[in-house]
Amino acid sequence: MATATLPGNLPVVDDLRRDRTGHVRGRTIADRLVGWLLPLLYLVAIVPILDLVYWVGRAALPTFTVAVITTDPSGAGGGLYAPLVGSLTILLFATGFSLLFGFFGGLATAEYLAERVAGVIRITANVMAGTPAIIVGLFGYIAFVSYFGWGFSLAAASVTLGVFMTPYVFRATDIAYASVPPHIREAAVGSGARPLQYLMKVATPIALPQVLSGVFLAMAIGVGETAPLYLTTTTVALPPLGFFQPVSALSLYIWSDYQTGFILPIAIHRAFQAAFLLLVIVIGLNVLVRIVASRSRRRLEGLYQ
Amino acid sequence: MSAALPPDGAILSVDGLGVTTRDRDLLDNISIDFSARSLTAVVGPSGCGKTTFVRSLNRMTELTPGLRIRGTVRYLGQDIYAKGVNPVVVRRRMGMVFQRPTVFPMSIFENAAFGLRIVRADDGEVDRAVAEALQRAGLWDEVKDELDRPALALSGGQQQRLCIARALAVRPRVLLLDEPTSALDPGATQRVEATLQRLKEDIVLVLVTHNVGQAARLSDRIAFLHSGRLVEVGATADILERPREKLTEQFITGRYE
Repeated sequence: MATATLPGNLPVVDDLRRDRTGHVRGRTIADRLVGWLLPLLYLVAIVPILDLVYWVGRAALPTFTVAVITTDPSGAGGGLYAPLVGSLTILLFATGFSLLFGFFGGLATAEYLAERVAGVIRITANVMAGTPAIIVGLFGYIAFVSYFGWGFSLAAASVTLGVFMTPYVFRATDIAYASVPPHIREAAVGSGARPLQYLMKVATPIALPQVLSGVFLAMAIGVGETAPLYLTTTTVALPPLGFFQPVSALSLYIWSDYQTGFILPIAIHRAFQAAFLLLVIVIGLNVLVRIVASRSRRRLEGLYQ
Repeated sequence: MSAALPPDGAILSVDGLGVTTRDRDLLDNISIDFSARSLTAVVGPSGCGKTTFVRSLNRMTELTPGLRIRGTVRYLGQDIYAKGVNPVVVRRRMGMVFQRPTVFPMSIFENAAFGLRIVRADDGEVDRAVAEALQRAGLWDEVKDELDRPALALSGGQQQRLCIARALAVRPRVLLLDEPTSALDPGATQRVEATLQRLKEDIVLVLVTHNVGQAARLSDRIAFLHSGRLVEVGATADILERPREKLTEQFITGRYE
């Protein structure tokens, strides 16, 4: 091999099989190891999920009939119609609430507020997102059930769950609008777009898919939450009758049927049926996220270059 | 606004323009006129204030917080920085094209129509203006059969000409171009240059470029900026062959440090 004849003090190694440190195979072995390790880590992530779906499905499906989603609970048996409708109703109103504060809050933070104010709001939202659900539930109990006098009710449960979901929607909206490429904003403003026109015609079409993904994820997180509902409503066997009537939810039935199961083992079946229904909803919402994301990726390809 | 085009007068007249941040001058006391049917190349080393200069001509500088602007910029005799002037309207009369293509994620047609949509032009007018703008931008023949395709599917050079079309669709008298070919390959650069060559027969073009060759090929006039000052402005041939200032000569001959 040629020896160093180039200026400078560093050794020049012209042997192309050696790397700079003079090792021949060191780097490639490390590279290969990582190449094997990554798929392995992927398996580590995916196996528990498949395992979970398998065991919940195995426990729920043998007793799962159409009647499970068409009849109301009765005693330790019956179906899950009331909690299913209850969960979806709570989710609907909670999502509405979280959109009202999360979406518009995120939009204001990303687009309009001074950087210092925006920073404070972002920290607050992060703290909110990290608040244990049971504390949000306790807040809901004190504020809505007790202080506002709504009682254990659809209204109290929805607003409490909405409070819980708000930081997720907020964060998705904030990031979505803040990540619209600055040169796109310049071009819109440079074309004479007023701020509102920029927002409606340029920024929102770009940001909306990401916002939607965030909302669906917040829904997937929210629909399975138990603690905010446990302290703001109570298990009833009937679908919601009004805003200020108690409403049932799938997650509450999992909890109460599991407890009943210690005395009355048959009750555990319904817990697993409720768990299975929840899993289907959560997986469905996640599939929606993927669809929205991949569609928007195709539409926006090339925008961020 | 119905101000008639002055036959030989300046469309755009800059007087004593200065832009300062809290601790330094980005532009200092710049005075220059732009008359109809001309292409002025603004050249100078990186950081000399070229971009700040064109951005001051349609009030884009004020989007950067903390900049203070002095002096006047008159568009057809009206000071664009005067009280009561709406910057949005200023930007509608002076189009801008940026370094990188900035197409929106919409169809080719809607991109070109953007400036018209935001002033709520009626559909017939939009159709006519979009076709005319795409022709003037030299893109019509390539896209006339696929106006509904997403603009992001176009090549970089086509996207840049679409951006020019978008600016032209509202029939501005002034087009500001901030290094419009610096992100393009030579072929695409050539087509954009051909477009500019034709456009300078109609309107005022202010072209920021770091490429002296491009300035030589396209411009009637060269303005040389250095450290925020307008060192020299003159007919392209004069500046290239007989620069009066040492700095200008160093820059155009590539001996600038």
